[in-house]
Amino acid sequence: MGDVETQDLISDLPQSIIESILTRLPIRDAVRTSVLSTKWRYRWASVTHLVFDDKCVPMYYDKGLLEINLIKFITRALFLHQGPIHKFQLSTSYLQSCPDIDQWILFLSRTDIKELVLELGEGEWFRVPSCLFNCKKLTRLELTRCEFDPPLGFKGFLCLKSLNLYQVLVAPEAIENLISGCPLLESLSLSYFDSLVLNIRAPNLKYLCLEGEFKDICLENTPLLVAMSVAMYITDDIAEHFEQSSSCNFIKFLGGVPRLERLIGHIYFTKYLSIGDYPRRLPITYSYLKIIELYQVSFEDMKEILVVLRLITNSPNLKELQISGSSNTLAAMEAPDLDFWIEECPKDCTFEKLQIVKMTDMSGVPHEMEFIKFLLANSPVLEMMSITPCVYVMDGRLSMLIELLRFRRASAQAEILFIRD
Amino acid sequence: MSEGSMAVVKPEMKSYIWLQTADGSIQQVEEEVAMFCPMICQEILQTGMGSSKNYAISLPQRVNPATLGLILDYCRFHQVPGHSNKERKTFDEKFIRIDTKKLCELTSAADSLQLKPLVDLTSRALARIIEGKTPEEIRETFHLPDDLTEEEKLEPLRNITDDPRIRLLNRLYARKRKELEEREKLKNVEVEEEHVDERSVDDLLSFINGADGDSKARSSKTKKKNRRRKDQSKESSSNNLNENHKKEMDTCSSASQNGEVKGVFIASPAKISKLQESMSATHSPKPEFDDMDIDDDLDPAMKEELDREVEDFARRLNSDWPERMQEILSRGQERRLVSLSVNGNGSLCKYSGMDQR
Repeated sequence: MGDVETQDLISDLPQSIIESILTRLPIRDAVRTSVLSTKWRYRWASVTHLVFDDKCVPMYYDKGLLEINLIKFITRALFLHQGPIHKFQLSTSYLQSCPDIDQWILFLSRTDIKELVLELGEGEWFRVPSCLFNCKKLTRLELTRCEFDPPLGFKGFLCLKSLNLYQVLVAPEAIENLISGCPLLESLSLSYFDSLVLNIRAPNLKYLCLEGEFKDICLENTPLLVAMSVAMYITDDIAEHFEQSSSCNFIKFLGGVPRLERLIGHIYFTKYLSIGDYPRRLPITYSYLKIIELYQVSFEDMKEILVVLRLITNSPNLKELQISGSSNTLAAMEAPDLDFWIEECPKDCTFEKLQIVKMTDMSGVPHEMEFIKFLLANSPVLEMMSITPCVYVMDGRLSMLIELLRFRRASAQAEILFIRD
Repeated sequence: MSEGSMAVVKPEMKSYIWLQTADGSIQQVEEEVAMFCPMICQEILQTGMGSSKNYAISLPQRVNPATLGLILDYCRFHQVPGHSNKERKTFDEKFIRIDTKKLCELTSAADSLQLKPLVDLTSRALARIIEGKTPEEIRETFHLPDDLTEEEKLEPLRNITDDPRIRLLNRLYARKRKELEEREKLKNVEVEEEHVDERSVDDLLSFINGADGDSKARSSKTKKKNRRRKDQSKESSSNNLNENHKKEMDTCSSASQNGEVKGVFIASPAKISKLQESMSATHSPKPEFDDMDIDDDLDPAMKEELDREVEDFARRLNSDWPERMQEILSRGQERRLVSLSVNGNGSLCKYSGMDQR
């Protein structure tokens, strides 16, 4: 049997396990295993996932020196690497645009790279070289602070499943064409764009995340969309543009997503949806929609309230609802249209599956209270409703509570939590 | 085999699976626990084995009884659907707190049983053990043999793909290795030399007393001057080198012409030319790839060692000189001086004309 105590414990494990271990080490430790013993000489060099960050090189106070060392380290590691590289990730706050990055991408474009994540530092944005568009096998692309300019003949990444562009400078048509040119695209995330006008045609898209100043978004062909998170920042000229447009944003956005399961709308989303004339009868039912989160809903704007009502009444399986208000108390106290709740409000609509409701930033304005009343009266299986008053409202809390007490509850086991801060 | 192990079953009627490890011992284990293992599950479903002691399922070789016990503990906990994620995580953390040897065996066994969650867990644990340690510590933890020699650590990488970049790297490594060899050789040569020098003292004495002392003295003085000049200006050392070589050659040949010295011969031309070559090689325009930094990535400790060696050697030679000079002058002797130069790259190169027996 030999001397069991001194027998090599680890070098004979199968290559897949060794790779699994080496991939979990920071790249610097992985490279250092090459001096352990003869068996370990080349093991790190065939790892298929390479993740580089600022911790690869020792920290120096001199930023320039750190940059140089980081560049050297990455260049050498790529130089010594053997075999295919499936994932390359570089996240650094020190390194900015420099010619070496172009060379790395050229090198990677020859290695059947599948996942490429590039996150560079503030400063001059890196202009993505054209060789990136030759990476035919790319399944995931993530760029932060880059300039993205596809060449003229570029048709798209045929294998791309996940696209993530964060603070990327790119022409709007280019994005549209890119999205359309990636037939397998399942996850799309676009952040920090200026005045973006976008028609999204992605037949396999499941997850969509938009954040930025969007002038006009149309989900033209996204039948499989499962989850959506939208944060819109409306500037003045975008608001102007809206006033002049007549198309119904609600339909443009939510008209073609029957399989939606989760909807998250940040600031201005409901306002955006409320623009445009809405046909009386909405044929779409969101049968799979279970969770709705809407932030900064302005309860003094009747149109926004209508949007919310429309959403929840057409989601028969809605389980969880979260709404945060943003009412200008003074304006809202005028409270026109309160009759709406008595006359026009959809009768006999029951939220059969609604279990949890969270209302935050409530100012206690009449429309808000009517809405809560409406929910309580029509949710037979409600388990919990939590109400968090807005921090600015001090005096109105007592009256809010008094009103709340009066509301009829359809659900016997509903708990109402009034959350003080 | 009874189905419905999920249904409420009286304890006596619970069904068991029989497993046999490579050493022949047989264990029995509850069916639902065993089924958590994909490989065992497959065996049961496809071949129907395991239902009795005689038809126990043979487990792969890498699974020994102790490790099997651990794996079954893992399966027993995780196959229960009721545990929360947090509970599972806590269990996992405690579970892997075993000694390294057992952990490696567990990883290997889990892999052969295709129990992926356990393989991930153990791989993570092993990575955590390796992370941040020095190579020596890692070798100690895993009992790895330190079978890379210094030179091997500089050895060129296997060029599997005939990649031109790797060829370049190999060339650089070859050069580095050559330098290392030269150093070794020179070390030996120096030892030899000193040895030889002692022996030929009598020769020199007789030679000096009998022969033309002046020319020798002159040449040795010029040699000394050259050496000092060389030390001051390292850049022009190669020129001096060639110069000195020539001078040595000249003096040697003149000495032999005198015919009074026995057994004086210069170092073989081949050796000198080789030295010349390596000198010129190191003075050729450097490739962009900085030699010293290759060492950095491989083993900083070894680089330090090499630097120390270099320093030692230089110091030794330098410190010898004053004493030797005293000796020589007091005895009125004459020696072929051993000159050395240290070029900018930090590597040593020695050239000498020597008396050798």
